[in-house]
Amino acid sequence: MVENSSIGSVLPPTGSPVAKRRRAWREFKDRVARYGVAMGGVSVIFAIVLIFFYLLYVVLPLFYGAEVDTKSEYQYSANSASYLALNEYNDVALSVDMSGQVTFFAADTGKEILTPQLSLPEGSAITSFSSGDATTGILSYGFDNGQVLLFKREYKISYPDDKRKITPFISYPLGQESIQVDPKGRRVSLLSVQSNDEQSSFAALTENNSLVLQSTIREQDFLDEDAFTLTTQIGEIDLSEFGEITHMEMDIDQRELYIVNRKGFIAYYDIQNIEQARLIQQIKAVPHGVDITTLEFLTGGISILVGRSDGQIDQWFPVRGEDNNTILHNVRSFKEQSAAIIQIEPEYARKGFIALDQTGDFGIYHTTAHRTLLVEPLSDHANVKMALSPRANGLLSLAIDGKAKLLVIDNEHPEVSWHSLWQEVWYESRDKPEYIWQSSSASNDFEPKLSLSPLTFGTIKAAFYAMMVAVPLAIMGAIFTAYFMSPKMRTLVKPTIEIMEALPTVILGFLAGLWLAPIVEGNLPGVFSILVLLPIMTILTAWLWTKLPAVIRERIPDGWEAAILIPIVILVGVVSMLASPTLELWLFNGDMPRWLDEVGIGFDQRNSLVVGLVMGFAVIPTIFSITEDAIFGVPKHLTIGSLALGATPWQTLTRVVLLTASPGIFSAVMIGLGRAVGETMIVLMATGNTPIMDFNIFEGFRALSANIAVEMPEAEVASSHYRVLFLAALVLFMATFIFNTVAEVVRQRLRVKYSSL
Amino acid sequence: MEAVKEQVSTQARAIDIESMQRSQKLNLADEKICLEVKDFNLFYGSKQALHNINMSVAKNRVTAFIGPSGCGKSTLLRCFNRMNDLIDTVKIDGQMLLDGQDLNKQSVNVADLRRQVGMVFQKPNPFPKSIYENVAYGLRLQGVNDRETLDRVVEKSLKGAALWDEVKDRLQESAMGMSGGQQQRLVIARAIAIEPEVLLLDEPASALDPLSTLKIEELIYELKEKYTIVIVTHNMQQAARVSDYTAFMYMGELIEFGATDELFTNPTKKQTEDYITGRYG
Repeated sequence: MVENSSIGSVLPPTGSPVAKRRRAWREFKDRVARYGVAMGGVSVIFAIVLIFFYLLYVVLPLFYGAEVDTKSEYQYSANSASYLALNEYNDVALSVDMSGQVTFFAADTGKEILTPQLSLPEGSAITSFSSGDATTGILSYGFDNGQVLLFKREYKISYPDDKRKITPFISYPLGQESIQVDPKGRRVSLLSVQSNDEQSSFAALTENNSLVLQSTIREQDFLDEDAFTLTTQIGEIDLSEFGEITHMEMDIDQRELYIVNRKGFIAYYDIQNIEQARLIQQIKAVPHGVDITTLEFLTGGISILVGRSDGQIDQWFPVRGEDNNTILHNVRSFKEQSAAIIQIEPEYARKGFIALDQTGDFGIYHTTAHRTLLVEPLSDHANVKMALSPRANGLLSLAIDGKAKLLVIDNEHPEVSWHSLWQEVWYESRDKPEYIWQSSSASNDFEPKLSLSPLTFGTIKAAFYAMMVAVPLAIMGAIFTAYFMSPKMRTLVKPTIEIMEALPTVILGFLAGLWLAPIVEGNLPGVFSILVLLPIMTILTAWLWTKLPAVIRERIPDGWEAAILIPIVILVGVVSMLASPTLELWLFNGDMPRWLDEVGIGFDQRNSLVVGLVMGFAVIPTIFSITEDAIFGVPKHLTIGSLALGATPWQTLTRVVLLTASPGIFSAVMIGLGRAVGETMIVLMATGNTPIMDFNIFEGFRALSANIAVEMPEAEVASSHYRVLFLAALVLFMATFIFNTVAEVVRQRLRVKYSSL
Repeated sequence: MEAVKEQVSTQARAIDIESMQRSQKLNLADEKICLEVKDFNLFYGSKQALHNINMSVAKNRVTAFIGPSGCGKSTLLRCFNRMNDLIDTVKIDGQMLLDGQDLNKQSVNVADLRRQVGMVFQKPNPFPKSIYENVAYGLRLQGVNDRETLDRVVEKSLKGAALWDEVKDRLQESAMGMSGGQQQRLVIARAIAIEPEVLLLDEPASALDPLSTLKIEELIYELKEKYTIVIVTHNMQQAARVSDYTAFMYMGELIEFGATDELFTNPTKKQTEDYITGRYG
């Protein structure tokens, strides 16, 4: 009774103002806590979703197709152009016709800017026209007297009044006069020409299919800048057997010549030695009933694009075969257009091109990515000429009736496709399709090779070797710590291992690269003998321990037996390292890396072994800690129940404890895997960062994360390279997200299945 | 309706058992002795938990330990299959004989001992496995993996634990989905599957509802045909109902030990009388 009344005096009666106020205050605190927690959770999810969408936002433009806008349409007076060109800024166009008329005009209005007069040889008629590689601006006329006139379109940019002014002009690399290419003075019916500062080459088809080759080498005088000497070589190929020749193209380096005949054959000549041109291969490039209607080099002068009468475009390039002979290969084809291809315009800087067909449709393609970015009607006329600007963002078309159209092309990332990112791609000058990551190079006409496969492979390889080291050590260690170890020793061991997690990985990476890698390289047999001997010696010691007389065994308290392994581990380490040189001398002729090299196993100092050891070390605390908690958390009544049924501790462990702890162990491994996949600094510093696809433990690799860290600072913002790096980040993000989600889902399921009160 | 009917019949049976017991006159001197405790002391570190215990457990009889919480009855029970070994600080002194052999001797294999002396705990502790695997567990530990043998023993044990009819159609389902009473009978089935000599029951019904408790008590009565049973209980009615002999312990000492009838109707010690009449505990 006394107690009751004292309680009554402490607590205000229900319903009194004091009680109400207190309740309101309690409810307020409750609500604040609830909303605070909810908001925290929602913000975390929101942040993750935001990261995901930001990555996606940067990545998505890679997969957009091309877009085209008509900038202007007008009636152009001259309409017999056989060649059309557009300058870098899409404002000055050039048309060349077969009468010798050369006109520069405004690309958007057709207004004439300049009509330079060429000095055509008197008394002769123009019989052929050829343009050199688009990037050089070289043009030439062939005449019926065996002469050729070489000229070049050029643009001078000045900035009067801070405004860009472009002045087009014509220059003559070999002088204003025509050159006698065919000494016999025969009519030049088909012409191909290439010219650069040092050398100009002509291939002129004359009467009776006699092909005259001429090359002029220009040597600058050392003393006088204006003085130079020209040396000319002439050769001739008899093509009378080859039938009617329709197309002829010389590569930009003036080393190869491709000739196409009416029957669809391609003859591939080596013309490095003009006087003795060599036929490398002659191949029927199209099926019966299909004609070759266009022949054009892709930029770089390695691949040829063959436009066919059925609308297909084939890419061919020479591939070195087994016997070191180069053979033309049809590497890939595009069949998006249905009518005969009449013109192909390669892009200047990328391996893309634009193809125009007879119905007036045009398509935008990229070869290496094997992408068709757009197919659209350009003109309703069959007879159309088109020109692509050097930046590939402008297209000028001119129909036979004089209708001109200037288009703006938006085509930012044609070189990346799902195919080029993940599958083998056959790059130019390569023997076979390969996975290559090579984002930059010293050379200008370099094509970035952006395959994520080797990087993803590197990440998987790193994670694999790290897990090989970490999973057995961490799980077995956790089992022993949680289940067998004395509680006192456990309170020492567990925090020690958990504190390892706090080590900055940059330090681990630095130690791995600069300290461990050379040691591993110098003592390779020692490292391997440690890997083999340590488990053997551990088991042997444990076995010997059970054979010791009870008197000695009882001196070490229960659960402290593990401590006797410490000297064993040290002993094995020291002995292995000391024996390493002897082993190396005895088994591997004194140099194991070289021995490996000789048996065909590549060896890098910074290799997957080092990464496996160090990253394994970094992942161990994560896996250990979660596994240990899971095993320690197995209810005691289950263990005791099992023991009471006559189970030995080992049977209890394997049949009850591990089974019940399996959800926790599984998520430990998955979280460890997620960590290994996302790890950056160790793989960055301890591997050679070579993007190769080789599972060899002695070779390095390049991981997605390290690649992002290395290349992001130098990637041009919004370039394809930049976006592909973001894609790599997205892949990494997805991978860790999936690993963690799968871990959680499986863990929940296992927990339901093995839940134990 | 069904449930009520069942309850009534179960109660009727329980009363039956009680009256049957009463009709027998038991005397320890006439019994075969299974377990014998001689001058037994047990210490948790420096604290003595059992003081000089001397007693015998008769074969194929139910012996109950009663006493207030902390009196040492569970500790004593756990000594019969050396479950106290799991506690580092436990030290023992004195003898404990199973069929005349000291079970604390160095040469005795603990796992073998526990196979012979099975144990069921207060809280049902089925493994997170199927019903079938729970019962088969003890056999598999002994290396019996033959399907037919296992099938036979599982059925026999589940019948022995009066559980067969309830679970025969869902043997492969997880044992975690059973009710508490079923789980406890499963645990008993699991214990008898390995055919122990002695079955130790540590408050087997204290976590169960009255109906399940009655079922367990019924089961205990049936099981003593084949096994020697030692049961620890807080419930004096239960001790009176199921046991043949009762030991009353208090503060780590065995105060009184004798035939249940005798002890409950005519206790020789005042402490026993106080306890069974509910004056403390």
